Amino acid sequence: MAEIELKNIAHSYNPQAADMTYALDPFNMTWVDGGRYAILGPSGCGKTTMLNIMSGIVQPSEGKLLFDGVDVTTLSTSERNIAQVFQFPVIYGTMTVEQNLAFPLVCRNYEKSVIDAKVEEVAKALSLQGLLKKSASRLTADQKQLISLGRGLVRDDVAAVLMDEPLTVIDPDLKFRLRRQLKEINQKYRSTLIYVTHDQNEAMTFAENIIVMDAGKIVQVGTPAELFDRPKTTFVGYFIGAPAMNFFECQAAGGYKLSIGSAVIMTGTDLSKVGSAPFKLGIRSEYIRIVEVKGANTFSAYVQRVEDMGNYKLVTAVFEGHVIKVKVERDIAVPADSVELQLPAENCCVYAADVLVS
Amino acid sequence: MGLLYSTLKYLAVTLWSVFVIAPFLWAISTSFKDFQSVTNGATYIPWVDFEPTLEGWRALWKSPAQGGVAIVEPFFNSVFVTAAGSAISIVLGTLAAYALSRFTFKAGPIRNGDITFFFISQRIMPPVVLAIPFFIMLGKFSLLDTLMGLILVYIVLLMPIAVWIMVDFFNKVPREIDETALIDGCNPYQAFYKVVLPNSIPGIVVAGMFCMIFGWTDFFFSFILTFTEVQLLPVAIVALNSSITPWWSLSAAALVSVAPLVFVAFIVERFLSKGNLSGALK
Repeated sequence: MAEIELKNIAHSYNPQAADMTYALDPFNMTWVDGGRYAILGPSGCGKTTMLNIMSGIVQPSEGKLLFDGVDVTTLSTSERNIAQVFQFPVIYGTMTVEQNLAFPLVCRNYEKSVIDAKVEEVAKALSLQGLLKKSASRLTADQKQLISLGRGLVRDDVAAVLMDEPLTVIDPDLKFRLRRQLKEINQKYRSTLIYVTHDQNEAMTFAENIIVMDAGKIVQVGTPAELFDRPKTTFVGYFIGAPAMNFFECQAAGGYKLSIGSAVIMTGTDLSKVGSAPFKLGIRSEYIRIVEVKGANTFSAYVQRVEDMGNYKLVTAVFEGHVIKVKVERDIAVPADSVELQLPAENCCVYAADVLVS
Repeated sequence: MGLLYSTLKYLAVTLWSVFVIAPFLWAISTSFKDFQSVTNGATYIPWVDFEPTLEGWRALWKSPAQGGVAIVEPFFNSVFVTAAGSAISIVLGTLAAYALSRFTFKAGPIRNGDITFFFISQRIMPPVVLAIPFFIMLGKFSLLDTLMGLILVYIVLLMPIAVWIMVDFFNKVPREIDETALIDGCNPYQAFYKVVLPNSIPGIVVAGMFCMIFGWTDFFFSFILTFTEVQLLPVAIVALNSSITPWWSLSAAALVSVAPLVFVAFIVERFLSKGNLSGALK
């Protein structure tokens, strides 16, 4: 295991071109030894490039990569001692399941007794014991992906296990079980796990820390709760959570107050030092309350529709042209025409130029 | 409707089978005939239309001085030249194809695809274009009328086929398999021969089959570049076409020349049924 540090790392796939563009903008990042991380972002945002830079498949255009303080930027993939699992199963089709699992250890000249013990342990953890003697090419897609995962987990001494959307081809039931097993493996061996995904639920349920990326930039690093409660940019607010965060164009109304049309909302942010730039107020649909009487931070909105989502109701309301999504418990009765909505000050996030005002 | 379709289908297959097998049956039948049975009108069924004899087959082993046609030495010459030419072409072609599939080459406007096309373009030219250069070059190195000279020429002719087939095959092999092998601890050479190569057996078998077919059936270059010392099977068979053609020996020799390809086809079919070309990896 190792602490992985990316120092001013940047990458461009056309570094010589006159119109050179970064696939990954310069950034610094430290992956703590034994941590469980998820890199989350839309397709093409640079997640896989970042992973490939760490494994050595891609040489960064700029910057340094340090493993426990040692510069490994120019080292080959095998010398870095990294494990990586790709989105689609990569198996050695001419080998048996057992040979596949043992391959990383065989390549590194481990003793046979160690190899046998590790293969058995990993096969047990991934429920592959019955398949060990079978040809790997004859298995189903999710079994093949389990072998890929197994090859990543079979070495104890890897600097980190990098996973690039590894559960895409796995059935939902098994996916849930595997995520839990990966967590257990992380806790047992304290191996650093870095998990790339574009599925926020996967990231939220798996990782201790999430790195949100957009267009080659790291937008926010934080715990699932931090990303949910205090998105640093409006992009994170839109990207995390279902439905996305509600945003309202608004104006400063003095001190901690903002005006959304005719409604004046008290926030938890002192806006007096920020100036009078146009603001956006963001609030999660989970935090908006339906109240019976007018009061502080309330306004009346017209109920457009109420959708039964099974375990909750999703109310779509309109206030002076602003569309508002509100999650309410299934048992709560929602008036058919208009509702009083309350935005708690502590849950209101204020954004200037799409960046959170702290 | 189902019965009609089924009947038509089997009828078509039967007709096609007769069309394919008939020349072989004719050759087999003729190889057991003697002069009288061939020249005195059409005969088909042994012991009914004619009395079968092994004279045509015995002649294959006899020297011309003993009244035979001596195709044993040309046969083994062909086996040696085809096997050596194909094997070297496959080894070199596979390495070249892997490089063309995995690495980017640039020379002015030329890219990987152009280089691959350059290889196969050698086969687009009519063979006669290459005859004079080959003749002069082999002559300069005293390789005319030698097995070594023919092997070199066959490598030139067969390697483009190997490169062309293998580039396409390697392009279908996901790069992730190489990358996984590197991550698992292989160096690039180990990744190639421990992981990529074993998974490429179906492609190599197909490329090998094409090389062997083209090498084995070549008449033009073996005719132009050999004289008296070395003779390959196609030239030896054609040489039987004299003023009085020994159809019985000619048929037997033709069957002998086809046998290795039939044997190769059976082996290749077994290999191909183990995994198709595109899906052998995932």
